[in-house]
Amino acid sequence: MELTVNGKQHEHHGNGSVAALLTEIGAVNDRTALMVNGKVVPSNIWENTLLRANDEVEVLVFVGGG
Amino acid sequence: MADTLNIGGHELGSRLLLGTGKFSDVLTMIEAVKASGSELVTVALRRFNRAQAEDDLYGPLSELENVRLMPNTSGAMNAKEAVRAALLGRELSKSPFVKLEIHPNPHHLLPDPIETYAAAIELVKQDFLVLPYIPADPVLAKRLEDIGCAAVMPLGAAIGTGKGLSTAEMIKIIIRDSNIPVIVDAGLRAPSEAACALEMGCDAVLVNSAIAAADHPSAMAAAFATGVKAGRAAYLAGLIPRSEIASASSPLTSFLSASDD
Repeated sequence: MELTVNGKQHEHHGNGSVAALLTEIGAVNDRTALMVNGKVVPSNIWENTLLRANDEVEVLVFVGGG
Repeated sequence: MADTLNIGGHELGSRLLLGTGKFSDVLTMIEAVKASGSELVTVALRRFNRAQAEDDLYGPLSELENVRLMPNTSGAMNAKEAVRAALLGRELSKSPFVKLEIHPNPHHLLPDPIETYAAAIELVKQDFLVLPYIPADPVLAKRLEDIGCAAVMPLGAAIGTGKGLSTAEMIKIIIRDSNIPVIVDAGLRAPSEAACALEMGCDAVLVNSAIAAADHPSAMAAAFATGVKAGRAAYLAGLIPRSEIASASSPLTSFLSASDD
């Protein structure tokens, strides 16, 4: 399934859940926040949230900032 | 009674808030947080990048006792993006605090007051403790208090410039009129400036560049902590008023020049 992840084309090979995508790209679950098509998806529903082709996914982490 | 800083019902033992940007590495940052005694530190959100995964600082920060996170909305160009960033930050940090910052012009990084005000209204509605980074504008500060912000954070000078309390006169007016904490954010370079801010009656300061970019960040963090404590103690002790007329502190009896005749 074709997705856009952090602005780049990404071919997803898992079961299509948000959780599967995060595992696929190597993101650590409890250190990641996620948005699909501009909407925040809380971590407690990642297992059950299914992505659709061409979804735009933003995966974010904390970095240093003032 | 302990002199604590109350932000939206949360008691903080330290009046020094610390930013976590610009440190050379995570360990140096953690050591500086410890040395600062800060109980509220800011973090930013960025896109996940597998190649930089080891730079994650959430793990090390969340292991520190008495340290709460305040995600910022850095990178947001308008109110809509800032609200989105705040929601993501809360999702990750589980913290009610948000440092609302919208500064679309990279040349001066000055806050956009109109977008900031619009975002603040929305974030207050969504139960955030909103700490907006703002120009040192007493009217805006009051308006943000009126809509329910937990504190206001007027700038001392532009971010990273180290020009100190260049807005001091405006900040004094903000302090005089404010019923919520006033926290000077940005521009401070030296612990003496932090002391000065607290002497003026600021409730706290937020420092990042001056500590992170110092030759010895944790030593500078400790120096700022001392400056903040001294300034606060002086404010509570009550500074004497300024006067145009000299007032001697020793007796002026003119016995040295008195004639023996």
